[in-house]
Amino acid sequence: MRGLKSAVRYARLLLPLLAAALLSGCNVAIDTPQNTFAPVGEVARDQRHLFFLAMWPAVVILVLVWGALLFALVRYRHRPGNPPPRQVHGHQTLEIAWTLAPLALLLGLAGPMIGMIIEQADRPSPEENPLQVRVIGQQWVWRFQYPQYTDSQGRPLEMVGRGTEPAELHLPPNRKIDLAIESIDVIHSFWAPRLGGKMDAIPGRVNHLWLVAEQPGEYGGQCAEFCGLAHADMRMRVIVHDSQESFDAWAREQLARQGQQAAR
Amino acid sequence: MAQTTFDGSPVGVLEALRQLRRQAASYQGIWSWIATVDHKRIGIMYGITAFLFFLAGGVEALAIRLQLARPGAQVLDQEVYNQMFTMHGTTMIFLVVMPLSAAFFNLIVPLQIGARDVAFPRLNAFSYWTFLMGGIFLYSSIFFGGAPNGGWFGYAPLTEKAFNPGHGIDFWALGLQILGISSLASGFNFIVTILNMRAPGMSLLRMPVFTWMTLVTSFLIIFAMPVLAVGLFELSFDRLFGANFFNPLKGGTPLLWQHLFWLFGHPEVYILILPAMGIVSEVLPTFARKPLFGYPFVVFSGIAIAFMSFGVWVHHMYTTGLGPVANSAFGVSTILIAVPTGVKIFNWLGTLWGGDIRFKTPLLFALGFITMFVVGGLTGVTHSMVPSDYQQQDTYYVVAHFHQVLFGGAIFALFAGIYYWFPKFTGKLLDERLGQLHFWLMLIGFNVTFQPMMILGLLGMPRRIQTYPTGMGWDLWNMIATVGAFLIALSVLVFIINVIITARRGQRAGADPWDGRTLEWSIPSPVPPYNFARIPLVRARDDFWHQKYREDEAGRPIPVVAGGAHQEHEEEHAQHIHMPSPSFFPLIAAMGFPIIAYGFVLADYALVAAGAVVLLFGIYGWALEPASE
Amino acid sequence: MAQRTHAVEHLETSTGLDNRKLAMWLFLASEALFFGSLIATYLLYRGQSTEGPYPSDVFNIPFTSVSSFILLMSSTTMALAVGAAHRGRLHQMRTWLLCTALLGISFLAGQAFEFTEFVHKGLTLSTNLFGSSFYLLTGFHGAHVSVGVLILLSLWVMALRGRIGQHNALNVELAGLYWHFVDIVWILIFTLVYLLDPLAEGR
Repeated sequence: MRGLKSAVRYARLLLPLLAAALLSGCNVAIDTPQNTFAPVGEVARDQRHLFFLAMWPAVVILVLVWGALLFALVRYRHRPGNPPPRQVHGHQTLEIAWTLAPLALLLGLAGPMIGMIIEQADRPSPEENPLQVRVIGQQWVWRFQYPQYTDSQGRPLEMVGRGTEPAELHLPPNRKIDLAIESIDVIHSFWAPRLGGKMDAIPGRVNHLWLVAEQPGEYGGQCAEFCGLAHADMRMRVIVHDSQESFDAWAREQLARQGQQAAR
Repeated sequence: MAQTTFDGSPVGVLEALRQLRRQAASYQGIWSWIATVDHKRIGIMYGITAFLFFLAGGVEALAIRLQLARPGAQVLDQEVYNQMFTMHGTTMIFLVVMPLSAAFFNLIVPLQIGARDVAFPRLNAFSYWTFLMGGIFLYSSIFFGGAPNGGWFGYAPLTEKAFNPGHGIDFWALGLQILGISSLASGFNFIVTILNMRAPGMSLLRMPVFTWMTLVTSFLIIFAMPVLAVGLFELSFDRLFGANFFNPLKGGTPLLWQHLFWLFGHPEVYILILPAMGIVSEVLPTFARKPLFGYPFVVFSGIAIAFMSFGVWVHHMYTTGLGPVANSAFGVSTILIAVPTGVKIFNWLGTLWGGDIRFKTPLLFALGFITMFVVGGLTGVTHSMVPSDYQQQDTYYVVAHFHQVLFGGAIFALFAGIYYWFPKFTGKLLDERLGQLHFWLMLIGFNVTFQPMMILGLLGMPRRIQTYPTGMGWDLWNMIATVGAFLIALSVLVFIINVIITARRGQRAGADPWDGRTLEWSIPSPVPPYNFARIPLVRARDDFWHQKYREDEAGRPIPVVAGGAHQEHEEEHAQHIHMPSPSFFPLIAAMGFPIIAYGFVLADYALVAAGAVVLLFGIYGWALEPASE
Repeated sequence: MAQRTHAVEHLETSTGLDNRKLAMWLFLASEALFFGSLIATYLLYRGQSTEGPYPSDVFNIPFTSVSSFILLMSSTTMALAVGAAHRGRLHQMRTWLLCTALLGISFLAGQAFEFTEFVHKGLTLSTNLFGSSFYLLTGFHGAHVSVGVLILLSLWVMALRGRIGQHNALNVELAGLYWHFVDIVWILIFTLVYLLDPLAEGR
């Protein structure tokens, strides 16, 4: 029984440490540009929710396994005069239990997962009036085109990064963004973490992704698929406007500038 | 040295080889190592070579960590950085963990099944030399304009000629082909060895778990490697002969590469981890002095994992836009592969439970494996959840996850194996105090390095970026990770010191220093060339344990008088054992591969032909010489 | 106690299967995955070429049918060689081995002729997806046939020198296993590539 007590003592020491580690790991909802724990839109928030749905049971299992391990190590450690251990070969009921219990738990996770996969693969319908953005990846800048906003020659409003200067992705708040993602050279991956997960830009095909930005502000994003020499420079600035009106105003101004540049 | 006359003619070459071969049979001198077909010597050469590559891969990791320690650093420029992480990944997977596992297959499996050698001793030597040639070929790319820089996964079209005109990727693709030949040869060899060379009474369900996992891993190798070979051929044909497999302009799809690569790549993960699980399943029972809990469940969960590993590859491709049906199906299959993995962990706990646990270094590393691997497995569950993985794919969260599995898992278990079996092959025990220091430094260093990466990933840091600006919230965690990497390096240094000190004045180990359970402990340390003077007759699982102990009514072991390792009269008996002769032809045949590969890289087809001649000379010499004389 | 116990060669195996035969079966299982991946690539890219020549522009089905028939016949002669080896009829065995090798060479000659024809019609490895995946698949099959011919000729020479007999008929049997496998793969290729393709495209 002394072993048990010392095990409990160890566990009491360890649990706060674990909790502290977890809290520092998970409650970092700080306002950094690419923090996936600080979502500013529905998609990223749902994804964080699903992460927690899997993470918390995982944490519980981790604590249980580590706890059982620690207990066994302390309780059954070799001490002089110990009788030799009984030669136990197994236990069928236990085996079935620890096969079926995780199976049930994991299958329980499959439901919400599939639900969210389908929901997030569903492109916004025209009734939802999404903002269309064409995302083009190229070594090593992003190119964003807004086909709903065209200049007098019919060219779409376009934002391109130059050198290490990241491209700006301007978005209106609280409106579904329907992104069509493609690449003109190698594989890239479009990723604005605070709005939602990534989608690859693959030459020869168009991938679709939808996002919503609910909170005005400026966020980060960058290419997440290794794309060669300057992969680290392939960044973007995501700028969410205060309102649809301010976004429209920006778009008009930008189109005018684009026209002037074309004229020059 | 005997006089070896050599007049340069083919007949002269053959005669010289024949003379050298007779010398090599003496088990003395360098030639006896080069020509060896002894599974133990081949295992030792595998181990030493893989450890040297481990140091190379480690130095690459340190260089990466130095570059990433602070934002905006310029320790390595972009090109060198890309080469570093490509070589780090390729080295650690193909030149470290796989061959270290192969070292243990070679050293342990024949002893555990009561055999005198593997089924095909010369093929075994061929596997080793081909591995060495592949490794040297891959690293020689440094002298031909730079190492490969496309990542260990080599995604097309970035690795196509149009975007990567140097020779690096050619070295990578052909180097992996050579290493694949080595793995395939050892895969066939060990399946046949395990199925066919078992001592009388060693039924399949009496085999030690390490041998079982070797069998399962070998099957994975022979079914996964050919898929990679086809992918690599397609890439090489694109690059060298202008084919269009991954060229979108001609209608090719880069996703084909990803499907082929990950159809190989996910079984590969289990090729790396199953041998480690086998080692842990040997170490735990020995130091808990109890049989493995739930032996059949541990074995069958290993088989289940192997089958399932061919059905989860798309989880590397969740963000490629394959659509909700594929993502859902592979999401569920990926979730389910956690079940057999969990079964193994619970059975290891059951093994320790109620034991009489002695905390020797091998056990510490095995425990390190369990604690860290559980974290790796559970983080794996979090990103098997498809939409959650949309955020984590290609971030440091994934880097942290697979290092939990492959370092916290495989490397820890391999070190457990090194400390456990070192006395068997050297006759000396590694120093226990230095071993414990090695373990704790490595465990702490490991956690300081990789747990911050988990946070980095969740804070949005992608993989494979050469640098990052400040203000992302990543600075502190990156600095901590770099400090941890140097702690790991320090722990490896302690290990090297331990080996040197032990070699000089290590404690002598008897045949059975740990009170082991399996047949390898029943024979002298170091193991004589013929392994078993008398082929054992196996009557039970953990047969050697049952020779030493019988059980009382309560199931507690009672020592059997005069049980245990018996060495009297064995030398006399052993004089009549006839072992296969050494051979140089495996080495010669293996030398053909890099020559052919250089020929293709440099578009010098005379060199290709020359390499083919060397290869054929080796194969014909091999086929025509008697296996023993 | 003084008799010589051989370490490896002459022990009975645990399964009763000969080591080398088991290894050959495993090798062929592995090869099945190799050709499986090549065929999968071909099927994935079937009809995806953005420019010609297309299969129907180059295929000469009667010609390839004849060469396929030749390869199939070589399986028969191979089986005869294996049977003769087991019964110790060495003269017959040598004859059938040589026949098999010659039939294999005829098939390879047919393939060489076919490839030359295709190149003249404008189909190279780099023309389009069809060219790439067709040449890779059939080329690797041809390479396998070539290795098989080399093995058969080696066995034939060894047999001429009296080094192959009833006691080591296994060598012939192993070559036979390999040869039959390569033939079966060709039946698959012929069906999926030559016969199915023009039908599916309907050009």
